[in-house]
Amino acid sequence: MVPRESRGTSPVTDEAFLQQALQHLDALHNLAVYLTRNGSEAEDLVQETYVRALRFSHRFEPGTHLRAWLFQILRNTFLTFYRLRERESAISEDGVAEGETPMFQDAPGDDSERSAIHMDLERAFTMLPEEFKTPLLLAEVEGLALEDVARIMDCPIGTVKSRIFRAKERLRGHLKDYGEDKA
Amino acid sequence: MADEIEDRRQDDERLRRLLIERLPRHAPPAHLRAAIVNAVERETPKRRWGWLWLSPAAAAAAMALIMVMWVAPSLQTTASSDPVRLLARALVSEHARTIFYGEPRADVVPAVLPRAMEESGVALSWVFTGDDAIRLVNAQATYLEGRRGIELAYRDADGHTVTYLVVPAGTLTLPERGRVQVDRWRPLIRTEGGFSFIIWKQRDLLCLLVSDLVSDGDLAKLKEYFVKVRSSTEPYAVY
Repeated sequence: MVPRESRGTSPVTDEAFLQQALQHLDALHNLAVYLTRNGSEAEDLVQETYVRALRFSHRFEPGTHLRAWLFQILRNTFLTFYRLRERESAISEDGVAEGETPMFQDAPGDDSERSAIHMDLERAFTMLPEEFKTPLLLAEVEGLALEDVARIMDCPIGTVKSRIFRAKERLRGHLKDYGEDKA
Repeated sequence: MADEIEDRRQDDERLRRLLIERLPRHAPPAHLRAAIVNAVERETPKRRWGWLWLSPAAAAAAMALIMVMWVAPSLQTTASSDPVRLLARALVSEHARTIFYGEPRADVVPAVLPRAMEESGVALSWVFTGDDAIRLVNAQATYLEGRRGIELAYRDADGHTVTYLVVPAGTLTLPERGRVQVDRWRPLIRTEGGFSFIIWKQRDLLCLLVSDLVSDGDLAKLKEYFVKVRSSTEPYAVY
C-alpha cells in the first residue's frame, strides 16, 4: 500500500484509508442489496465502490463525511453500470422482471407474524423507485443529514425532502392493505 | 389543522421507527471484506503505473496536435462526395477537439456517462471502461455530420488518444472495399492523413474509432482496442 496524498494533514496511507472506509461496509452493502435486489451483484457493486474510492482517495477531503462520500460513489456506480443492465434484464414467463423479488433470507424467522411484517415492509420498500428508496434509506435508516443526502443524490435539499415525503406516501399506500388486515 | 400536522408528525415518526426496527438489514457476507482488500491490492500498482505515462502522454498529445494542424486543412480541400470520407473528415475534427479540449477525467466518467447517454440518444447497456493498456477517460454527447451521438475518449498507456463515436447509421452503407477481418468482425479500416479509422455498424448504429495510431505496429494496437471496445460495448439507439 502506498502513502496517499493529503491536504494539509498528516500523511494517510491507503491502508489506513481502506480501514476507515471498511467501517462503513455494513451500511454500503445494505444499500447495495436494496438497489440491485441481487446478492452477488450487490457484492460486486460494493467491491467496485471500494476500488473506486481507493483510486480517487486523494480527492477525498479529510474531515468531511467519509460515509456520505462512499454512498455517493456507490450510487453513481450503480446508476452507471448496474441500472443499465437492469433495464435490459430478462422478463420471466409470468411477465415480471427477474430480480424484482426482494431478498427475504435475512428476515428473522422465529415468529411467523413478525416475519410477515418484515416481508411485507421489505417488499413495499423494494417496490419504491431508486430516486425515492435511496434518500429514504439514507435519511431515515442510516441517519444521514439531509445535506449529505442531497450531495449523494446530486440534487437540492428541497428535492430530497420532497422525495422522502413522496416515498413515505407510497410506502404507506403499499402497506395500507396489510395494516388494515392486521388491525 | 394543528391536529392534522401533529397526526402527520406522529405518523412519520411511526414509519421511521418501523423502517429502523423492521426493515431487514442485509449484512455483508464474511468473505466480502477479504475480497475488497484483495481487489484494492490488485488495483494499487495500477495507480503507481498511471503516473508513469504522464510524460509520454503529453508528448503524444503534442505530436497529435501538430499532425492535426498540418493535416486538417488538406483534408478539407480533398474531401469528396464519398460518405465515408466525409465522415472521416468530421471524425478528425471531433478527434482533434478531444485532444485539444477534452480533459482526461476518468474519475468523473461514472457521473458524466449517464448524462452523455441521455443527451445523445445513444445508450450503452455495456461499456468498455478500460484495462491495463487503455482507459476510458471521458464521455460526452456530440454531433457528427448532423448525426447526434455519443463520444467516448480513451487514453492508452503510451498517451495516444482513441476516440470512439456512436451515431445513428441512417441509410449509410459501408463499402466492401477496405473491410478487414479483425477477430470475428469485418470493419472498414482506413488510414488517411495521419489518422486511422475503424468503422463498423452495430445494430442500426454507426460506430467509429479514430486515432493517430498509423504505423503497422500501431495499427495492430488499434485493432486490439477495436476488439475490446466491440466485444464489451453494447450501444443502442434510445429514440
